[in-house]
Amino acid sequence: MTQRPVFIAGCGQVGPVAEDPRSIVEMVLEAVEGALEDVGITHQDIDAIVTASVDILDGLTASNIAVTEVVGAVMKPEARIAADGMAAAIHGACQIWSGAYDTVLIVAHAKPSMAPYQDLMQWAMDPIYLQPLGVDFLTCAGLQAQALAAGDAGAEQRWAELASARRAGTPAAISADEILASPIVASPLRAEMCAPMEDGASAIVLSAVLGKHDGRPQVTGVGHDLAPHDLGDREPGIWRGLERACNRAYSVAGIDNPASAFDLAEPSCLFPHEEELFVAAAGIGNATVVSPGGGLFVGHTPVVAGLSRLAASASAMRQDAGCRRALAHGAWGPAGQGQAVMILEAGAP
Amino acid sequence: MIREEKIQIPFVYAAGQAGSRFLVALRDDGRIMGSACAACGHVSVPTRSFCPACSESDLSDVELAGEGNLVSWTEIPGRGVFALINLDGADGALLHRLIDSPDKLAVGQRVRAQFAETRKAHISDLAGFVVTGAGP
Repeated sequence: MTQRPVFIAGCGQVGPVAEDPRSIVEMVLEAVEGALEDVGITHQDIDAIVTASVDILDGLTASNIAVTEVVGAVMKPEARIAADGMAAAIHGACQIWSGAYDTVLIVAHAKPSMAPYQDLMQWAMDPIYLQPLGVDFLTCAGLQAQALAAGDAGAEQRWAELASARRAGTPAAISADEILASPIVASPLRAEMCAPMEDGASAIVLSAVLGKHDGRPQVTGVGHDLAPHDLGDREPGIWRGLERACNRAYSVAGIDNPASAFDLAEPSCLFPHEEELFVAAAGIGNATVVSPGGGLFVGHTPVVAGLSRLAASASAMRQDAGCRRALAHGAWGPAGQGQAVMILEAGAP
Repeated sequence: MIREEKIQIPFVYAAGQAGSRFLVALRDDGRIMGSACAACGHVSVPTRSFCPACSESDLSDVELAGEGNLVSWTEIPGRGVFALINLDGADGALLHRLIDSPDKLAVGQRVRAQFAETRKAHISDLAGFVVTGAGP
């Protein structure tokens, strides 16, 4: 790459927890303080802020207005993304690559325990053709899963084993048999196949000037794509948007063969069939370790998920010198309508 | 401490000119209308003001069959069966409901539209689809 570097200089994370008793501002405060502390800087070192939030989840219009002060955005440039935090991170990285700013704070937050999620996600669907029918995100996930399971007799067993494997060794550990015995929520998906919805916040400091001497991972490629909103306008069994997002990122990073390019992948998958869609669309191979900490199957916060995957990737690279390149992923909207990826490469040892 | 609230705000959503033609055809004639793109030939349903495949806006309305093939489905306990239907003559699929819930569903099964007896230019004027055959 010829651009100036963008380092994942610091990370701060809150949750995911089932129900955080604090206010959103207090959750964001802990995440931001954690990220600044991780780099050893203060708000004065931040040039600009990009936040990710979704109004309907916060029960507010312009939900970034509620966190202006706590993210340090008073009298500073702030942009807000109403999508997954990975899209906000890409926005921030592009600001740095453009030369506009040296150091950008990325913040994502959501507290889905505030309201019935199914009701909220129905309001996120098209109001003329889909919302009145009762279509929500879970409906779209079920339709996508069934499109994959049809003609694949082993799909449900395989998905149960995958969801079980992701939770192995965590407090949420569960056997494949127990998953297959859990109730259907949107056939063929069962309750224990789904990533649990929880509250959380995440903050990441991206910088061209901080982190280099600490061996922090560097962003070497980004890609972002949107598929049509209506599942009827897509191929239901393929994440074409992720294919396009990955191809953009691979082109920027100079990756010709993704099957052998990554030591680690941290996807934002809410169901096991989504992980199969992710692996196929990203083109990663068997040598890539996927979600070693369980990924979103041990706790998922909408909006925050992609940024949390970016933080997990950066953390793994800082702890394991053998992890040289990672693919972090964010997704949002019904059945993965929005897709974004970031490629990280390890800093100098 | 918490404060409880229930957000209730009346809204009026415009279906748009293309969407209104679709809804009026459902209500008045029990017909399902789509849009054929002059640029790429893609036939979408419901009617559109621009092509979802190529974004061009040179479209003409076409009447679609009330029959098609099952592309996918999902049953949500207590809420019924949702389905993607590829109507004969259309590209892509229409996301709607199955009225009945057969034990065995399969990709490619034939389905037929059923219309509501009382119609009001609303997506529910199309009551849903019933399975009529085994398909290819």
